[in-house]
Amino acid sequence: MILIGEDLNVMTGEISRVIKEREAGPIKECVAGQTKNGMDYLDVNVGPVKKDPQGTMEWIINTVQDVTDLPLSLDTTNPVAMEAGLEVCKKKALINSASGTTESRETMLPLAAKYSTDVVLSVINDAGLPADADERAASIMDSAAFANELGIPNENIWVDPVLLPIGVDQRQVTSYLEFIQMLQDLLPGARSTCGLSNLSYGAPRELKSLLNRTFLIMIGRYGQHSAIVSGFDQELIRLIRGEVPEIVELIYRAMEEEDLDLSALSQKELEYAKTTQVLMGKSLYSHSWLEV
Amino acid sequence: MKYEPPLEKISVNIRETVLGQGEKSVKIGGENTLPFHSFEGSLPNSAGLALEVLDTQPENWAPSVLEPFEDVVSDPVKWAKKCVEVYGAEMLCLRLLSTDPMGKDRSPEEAAEITKKVTDAVDVPFIVWGTDMEDKDAQVLMQVARVCSGKNLLLGPVVKGNYEKIAKAALEHGHAVVAQASMDANLTKELNIALCKFFPPEKIVVDPTASALGYGLEYTFSIIEEIKQFGLVDKDKMMQMPILCDFGGDCWRTKEAKESREQGILWEAISGITFLLAGANLLVFRHPESLKLIKEMVI
Amino acid sequence: MALKGAEIMKMLPKTNCKECGYPTCFAFAMKLATGGANLEDCPHLDPQVRAQLEAAMAPPIKLVTIGAGENALAIGEEEVMFRHEKTFFHESGIAILISDKESESDIEKKLKRIKAFDFERIGQKLKIDLLALCFESGDKGKFEALVKKAYETTNFALILICEDTDVLFSAASLCADRKPLVYPITKDNTSAAIPKLKELGVPAGVKGQSIEALTSVTSELKDAGIEDMLLDPGSKNMLEGIRDQTLIRRAALKKGFRPLGYPTIAFPCFMYQDRFKETLAAAALMIKYAGIVVLSQAEAQFLLPLLVHRFNIYSDPRRPMTVEEKAYEIGNPGENSPVLISTNYALDYFIVSAAIEEANIPAYLCIKDTEGLGVMAAWTSGKFNGEAIAEFFEKYAMADKVKHRKLIIPGVAKKLVAELEEELPGWEIILGPLEGSDIPKFLSEEWKA
Ligand code: SF4
Repeated sequence: MILIGEDLNVMTGEISRVIKEREAGPIKECVAGQTKNGMDYLDVNVGPVKKDPQGTMEWIINTVQDVTDLPLSLDTTNPVAMEAGLEVCKKKALINSASGTTESRETMLPLAAKYSTDVVLSVINDAGLPADADERAASIMDSAAFANELGIPNENIWVDPVLLPIGVDQRQVTSYLEFIQMLQDLLPGARSTCGLSNLSYGAPRELKSLLNRTFLIMIGRYGQHSAIVSGFDQELIRLIRGEVPEIVELIYRAMEEEDLDLSALSQKELEYAKTTQVLMGKSLYSHSWLEV
Repeated sequence: MKYEPPLEKISVNIRETVLGQGEKSVKIGGENTLPFHSFEGSLPNSAGLALEVLDTQPENWAPSVLEPFEDVVSDPVKWAKKCVEVYGAEMLCLRLLSTDPMGKDRSPEEAAEITKKVTDAVDVPFIVWGTDMEDKDAQVLMQVARVCSGKNLLLGPVVKGNYEKIAKAALEHGHAVVAQASMDANLTKELNIALCKFFPPEKIVVDPTASALGYGLEYTFSIIEEIKQFGLVDKDKMMQMPILCDFGGDCWRTKEAKESREQGILWEAISGITFLLAGANLLVFRHPESLKLIKEMVI
Repeated sequence: MALKGAEIMKMLPKTNCKECGYPTCFAFAMKLATGGANLEDCPHLDPQVRAQLEAAMAPPIKLVTIGAGENALAIGEEEVMFRHEKTFFHESGIAILISDKESESDIEKKLKRIKAFDFERIGQKLKIDLLALCFESGDKGKFEALVKKAYETTNFALILICEDTDVLFSAASLCADRKPLVYPITKDNTSAAIPKLKELGVPAGVKGQSIEALTSVTSELKDAGIEDMLLDPGSKNMLEGIRDQTLIRRAALKKGFRPLGYPTIAFPCFMYQDRFKETLAAAALMIKYAGIVVLSQAEAQFLLPLLVHRFNIYSDPRRPMTVEEKAYEIGNPGENSPVLISTNYALDYFIVSAAIEEANIPAYLCIKDTEGLGVMAAWTSGKFNGEAIAEFFEKYAMADKVKHRKLIIPGVAKKLVAELEEELPGWEIILGPLEGSDIPKFLSEEWKA
């Protein structure tokens, strides 16, 4: 599993400020930390960069590349900033992101073609977010066909099935699972990614990571290629790097077995088992899913 | 091809909740099938239909909904009596509007005293409703629980921020509660889980918050329909509580209801039948005519 | 049962030869499942398998059209039992009954009222769809005169109700190009009706005393090549209607039982004398699957609630309901009236506009297009931030509409205050109450501009 560290993000107030003031220190610290923790890519989320998109992007990418050799995922909705960033990236970059909306397709995908980069392509289209797995499939095939026309091969497309918070729409989470399993049959060779932390948006703070970790193992089993995750979630990193095989094993079992015997499990195992069940849609989600 | 009626049996029941005491007590819930599906399951109790009584003079009510109560609005005891004696209500919902801290801000003691008087005067079961102000409702409903000990009132709304206080008082004094989580099945479940840690599930009624025709009805209809199915079809124990829908007030606030008496009555009655079809077990009406219509239609 | 992509896949050749234009058989299957591709495009399908697939992919409830042209009503092709499972697709038609026994002037009045009926609500036209013309006089001439009148002086789709099969079809021939629904076709007149149905090409309203009785008639019609039908199981009241309609839809959707795979019609007008009850039964049967409901009258105060109800039930729960972006004028606002802003998420709009009306203070309600996202989600995605709102103010010239400089924003949007103070210099940004129900009080207390 390719892990993309998400922590360099303008949405966090601190980063927003240091970008404005061109203060390299905190950025370097954030980048170095995630690199050290074993991320494979780093996401550089600069938002829409209304003021001086070119200069801002160049500065930040160079600052980041000063302290890391990792390839970068460039996260901005501003095509001017995006192109400026691509110009200075040393490694094959990931454009984060394009969607199936007419506007996004027509601004972002040509950049991916021009610079032969990878591109995140989400299943959102002009009609909004597809309601189920079949609609996701129909949408992504249209967008991928458009990308292929521009000369972008499936291998450069990182499909984002769009993960919604489980507290908002549990069914969308199960549709995600259904969809990710069919992706290779739909678009052979295509990669996949998602913004993992969105899953637990609104969930109790202390339980967010449990949801995220469990889900990542689950989708990994279904062939998920990568995910955008917190580069500082040590437990998640350990789990995904195979350092806790018994938990992974348990999650797999909870995915498969209808009547998993919960009585024999330790407290920690029980938490993973229950979380898996709720993520599979076997029972209705509530923030206190561990308590029933 | 031969036709066989495609009947579906459900193996679990919605919990049965008893409200009030003595001869006039009312049971709601208890069904093991979807609403009106008596052809394939059992619906032992028809839905509870309650009329609203305010503890204070109503303000800004449309003339056509004020008219049935015009002679009694200044006295909640008379109002309650009229609902029962003239309009045949089998259940009432006493709204303690005057406790609103932004309004008259009556004290919990005063509110409890009024509640005691009204509930002593008529012997039908009562829902006693606060003002959706978490803290004040807690104080008021705890006091009501004490003063009306043993009456098996249905106290609400009980929400995430005040459920412990109110439910403890209700438990101690033998009342039931309405657990309210606004338009969200997940939060409804969560509140039930929290309550059930110390409160008997058969004394919980849930309120996913209803809304009026044309003003959000499509959302609440589907959420209530889903909640009922989580309970019956998915057999989720935390979703098997009877459901309350309180929408009369919202209906009569709409400009369409204010436009004409007939339109207003239908606005409320259509909302009511819609919620019954979704799976509501207890409805709160404002106009006696809407209640009567529904009653005659569903038996 | 509408087939899922994975089920279709099982029947395809699985060679991924790409001749259909899709990269894999699976991709083709998914497109088929969502209606975006055609079976013909795979040249390698065994004809027998193709026939099987075609049958399996046919919608479990047929789409039937009544009427012609602009006012044609299409019903059927529903996919779910419950709205929240997906959506209800084709709104129930509303028909108004007119009997040939009514006096000429009554009929005239009724038609006039029906034609004049014209409601608009949040940009949606609410309308009556059909006239149900009923033969009760025993006088063929009278009935035909009524049919002619309806045909010639209105554009509504028509339902012809007549127990006398000869009169029924002779009337139908007067308006065959309008594709009227002819009703009732029963087990007693099926064989007589078949040739005429075929000749005129009009849809059949099949009536049975029970669901079971319906199936023999629909099978016979189908064998004769007639597939445009509506079902009436003869329910006598609302509760029977709920039962019958539920069983019909369930048989069609969940059992794939083809003889019941057609839309339905219900007659609240014959179930209840009381106008209120009739309307309530119609409301209930719209939720519980009736493709058409027939009502006895067309009075606005009975129809409007029903039309709003239909609009509610048939809205798509998968997409947030939205209202049009604009500066709504509620009451009759002037240069001193308050200005509020909210998203175009329909529920936000409803709550705020209703609250303003309740407060009885005329106001400008600015509704910003946020693609149906609520306040916080819209803020996060940049559709309801300081900049977007400033653009809105520019576009709708809000500064020219009022003399004061106060803007009330949703109570949850604390983060917006600072943004707006920057983007809308000179405006005082006031945080509204958290709950919509507190807006009336808030307005009457706070608004002293
Ligand atoms: S043409 Fe037929 S066999 Fe070939 S890929 Fe398409 S579906 Fe498969």
